[in-house]
Amino acid sequence: MSARIAVPVFPGTNSEDETVRLLRDCGGDAELVHWSKAEELALYDAFVLSGGFAYEDRIRAGAIAAHDRIMDYVMEAARCGKLVFGVCNGAQILLEAGLVPGTGSGRKPTAAFAKNLPEPHFVCRHVYLKLSIEPSRSAITAALPHGALVPAWAAHAEGRLAAAPEHLKEIVEGDHLAFVYAHADGGVDDAAVPNGSALRCAGLVNREGNVLAIMPHPERDAWNFNHLDRREGADVLAPSGGAVLFRSFVQAVSATQASHPEPRPEGACRRTRASE
Amino acid sequence: MVSGLSGVPNVALRDDELQRIKERLGREPSTVELHAFDAQWSEHCSYKSSRHHLTRLPSSGATVLLGPGEDAGALHLGVHEGDRYAIVVAHESHNHPSQVVPFEGAATGIGGIVRDVLCMGAEVIAVADPLRFGRADTDVACAQRSRSIARGVVDGIGAYGNAIGVPNLAGDVYFHQGFDENCLVNVVALGLVKEGELIHSYAPKGADDWAIVLVGKATDPSGFGGASFSSLTLDAEQAEINKGAVQVPDPFLKNVLMRASYRVFALLREQRMTAAFKDLGAGGIMGCSAEITSKGGYGAAINLDNVNVAVDGMPPEVIAVGETQERLLWLLPQAVVSDVLRIYNDEFSLPDVAYNARATVIGRVTADRRYTMRYRGSVVMDVESEFLTGPIRDELPYTEVIRHSGPVEELPAVDVEALFPKILAHRDVASREPLYRRYDAVVRGCTVLARGAADAGVLAPIPASRLGVALAVAGNPRYGRIDPGYAAEHAVVEAMRRVVAVGARPIGLTDCLNFGNPRKPEHYGQFVAAVDGLTRAATQLDLPIVSGNVSLYNESADGHSIPASAIVACIGAIDDVEKVVTPGLKEAGSTLLWIGSRELVVGGSVLAEVLGARGTLPAISYSGERASVGILHEAVARGILRSCRAISDGGMLTALARLSFDAMLRGRRIGAEIDFGNPLCETGGFICEVSDESEVDLTGALRIGQTIPGRELIVNGIRFEIPRLYKIWSQPLDELYP
Repeated sequence: MSARIAVPVFPGTNSEDETVRLLRDCGGDAELVHWSKAEELALYDAFVLSGGFAYEDRIRAGAIAAHDRIMDYVMEAARCGKLVFGVCNGAQILLEAGLVPGTGSGRKPTAAFAKNLPEPHFVCRHVYLKLSIEPSRSAITAALPHGALVPAWAAHAEGRLAAAPEHLKEIVEGDHLAFVYAHADGGVDDAAVPNGSALRCAGLVNREGNVLAIMPHPERDAWNFNHLDRREGADVLAPSGGAVLFRSFVQAVSATQASHPEPRPEGACRRTRASE
Repeated sequence: MVSGLSGVPNVALRDDELQRIKERLGREPSTVELHAFDAQWSEHCSYKSSRHHLTRLPSSGATVLLGPGEDAGALHLGVHEGDRYAIVVAHESHNHPSQVVPFEGAATGIGGIVRDVLCMGAEVIAVADPLRFGRADTDVACAQRSRSIARGVVDGIGAYGNAIGVPNLAGDVYFHQGFDENCLVNVVALGLVKEGELIHSYAPKGADDWAIVLVGKATDPSGFGGASFSSLTLDAEQAEINKGAVQVPDPFLKNVLMRASYRVFALLREQRMTAAFKDLGAGGIMGCSAEITSKGGYGAAINLDNVNVAVDGMPPEVIAVGETQERLLWLLPQAVVSDVLRIYNDEFSLPDVAYNARATVIGRVTADRRYTMRYRGSVVMDVESEFLTGPIRDELPYTEVIRHSGPVEELPAVDVEALFPKILAHRDVASREPLYRRYDAVVRGCTVLARGAADAGVLAPIPASRLGVALAVAGNPRYGRIDPGYAAEHAVVEAMRRVVAVGARPIGLTDCLNFGNPRKPEHYGQFVAAVDGLTRAATQLDLPIVSGNVSLYNESADGHSIPASAIVACIGAIDDVEKVVTPGLKEAGSTLLWIGSRELVVGGSVLAEVLGARGTLPAISYSGERASVGILHEAVARGILRSCRAISDGGMLTALARLSFDAMLRGRRIGAEIDFGNPLCETGGFICEVSDESEVDLTGALRIGQTIPGRELIVNGIRFEIPRLYKIWSQPLDELYP
């Protein structure tokens, strides 16, 4: 049985189809799971929270969705060491649920993805994510090279990491700053940051390394046809560019599955199949 | 709200129309009937003064799957793995609402056009937004208003399109005095459907006794009188009261409604069921249910008590014709009704997404061809369906527009060094990025060329397929002021060129005709001239016009019409997205070719405006246009076209500068050296970078220079630093869109 990846859909999610498509093109066994069938999430081994405007981003982006029934399953899975990867709105939800950086307790966030600055509105801009942890720090990034550059599109109005100084300190000292914004040549400066994010943060990882949240969308620059002017004669339909991070995730999902061939004994962390 | 010509409060029907209704009914119309006819016979719904002209537009051809007449048209895109795919395309205006309430007006414009495409059974894959605003310069009196409209409209389009997850693929914006009191917000949407799975917006044969199912937002009092409102001239004093006629957008609900509808499409496919689906627009429940049934030769029996409402106590006429957004209407065989209700109400839990939103059966299709409505046990409407929805015609007199002509004025040598920076910084030439970066250009992951990256946006919309679709819009108001008919022809040619410039094969057009008051013969004559112009251009270029829209009464309170604005969108097909022409100069040492007419006139150009010069518009040679397209297709097929731009606002030198900007932004150090008579002329054509000109047929092309290493443009010996030009070009709109 190959490891199964769920892409949960909240009311307002809008990037679910391309997320599933890319996971599958990277070899993953991915399915959409609709909010009205949240209980099916118990059957999955890994989770990708995709982009959109879950619950209309009321209050703050991700704030309502963080308390949705879907998140009961995702949080339990994260606690059991299953892999959870959030992109854009998915990242906002993981942050609001307190899963990243995960330095607080329960669903209490210790940071926020706040309104962009200095442009306090939605910005759609091509960016690069630069891996700023050791690849092995997180299973999800383990297959990336050191300092990997991942092309992506920033497309959000609320992506600026904001936190109290002591919590920013925790992020740095706890090695939670997974990705920063960079230029195409790998250079890092404020001009590369589309939203005024603290620490030039583009992504955060939890302490255990099994939950990763990134603001920009690698899945929108993930096939050769998405970046024709950077192609190198390869098949236009083949995954490339931002797909590298999704492929690393899929490999990690397969690896964790291989290391736990049988359902683990501790009850809550077992996969509960209807047929069992 | 709105006052009309007939003197009946809230109704815009004319006395002669009212008389016709009384005679046909043999009695006084009920209040519901009065409002129903008011909406249905409004210009907005009936096209009463425009339809007989629009029939001249060419709408057939090898690429046409569905021409005008339904909520959207459809064009054949290509075949992938044995399946024939079509692009569904719709084009509308939301001008009046956007002038009164810019954010909501523009957002509901996107909402409406998306439903027009959705209801054809298609997945919505792109939107575009041609915009026209008044002067936003800080030194004119009306600037404050124009600025707030220009910002509100863009924010509304972004907020809606971004939330539903449809990329903004194309668009343009002009700022012109003629739009000080009437902005234009045109919207285009594209959908993708397998040709055999298209859903029509009329009752098919055998629909007798089918269920009429309303789906979406709970009906509320917003948007009451919208159709009539759009058919009146805006009055400054009325503006505040007119706000009630503008609808309230809910992109969050729409997001869910779209996905639930995709699920219903799948269910109908699985069960091999036919159904009809239509967007609720002007005239609300009444307009939609009457049209979808009567077009199939049926009547309808509607029970207004079954309509899910947001507030109690609304009068029946408000429930019947109010234009609450985010609603659609199905005609469904009884066998499938419960499954469809379950998908919307349970699987996608509409009632949890928005207050009292749901799918609900509100009536049935009848064979008797009468349109009836009941409310609280009484019949509140009972009319012949065809009398309500049938064609009504208003033959209005018009003044024939004489084709603008005069001696061709070729300007004497201009000071390119001093003028080119001014042209690049001109409000109609400067970078649009401050505006479009607020739009999501890449959601859905299919984007090949994003909005602003090139002359046309390109998508690869079918997973695992090399087929691509390109989209571009055009319609120059400076041209419209000079010659309404010829401007329409130029709009067709320009939209086509933009699609060709990315390597696509143009397959069809849509149009939106934005004009003044049809009851003024001189305004109406401009509309008629534009229809003639579109007809000529589309016929000559063999491009069918498969859908469109007319927006009249774009006239200010003191009687000024907007510049004649035939706005055109061109759809292009790409057999292999690998062949798409990518942005920016590629290599030093390439040949630069100019393809286009030799007649270098300045009429209607940005240069003419900067110099205060007048003149006739550039002449169009259709044989020349066809030849240009042939040269480009040939160059793409042989793989020698390295980059290309269509020549448009700002002229040939602006097009070349943009090729150099795109190279610079991608880290390439390439410039160009050219020698050319007047490089600021806007006479249309293409500027092309080719690797090898030896086999290009140069009868329609001229070698004007070559690309060079370094970031410099050398124009007739004058040197421009590309980074400096980029700074001049990229910043002007930052101030308006900070």
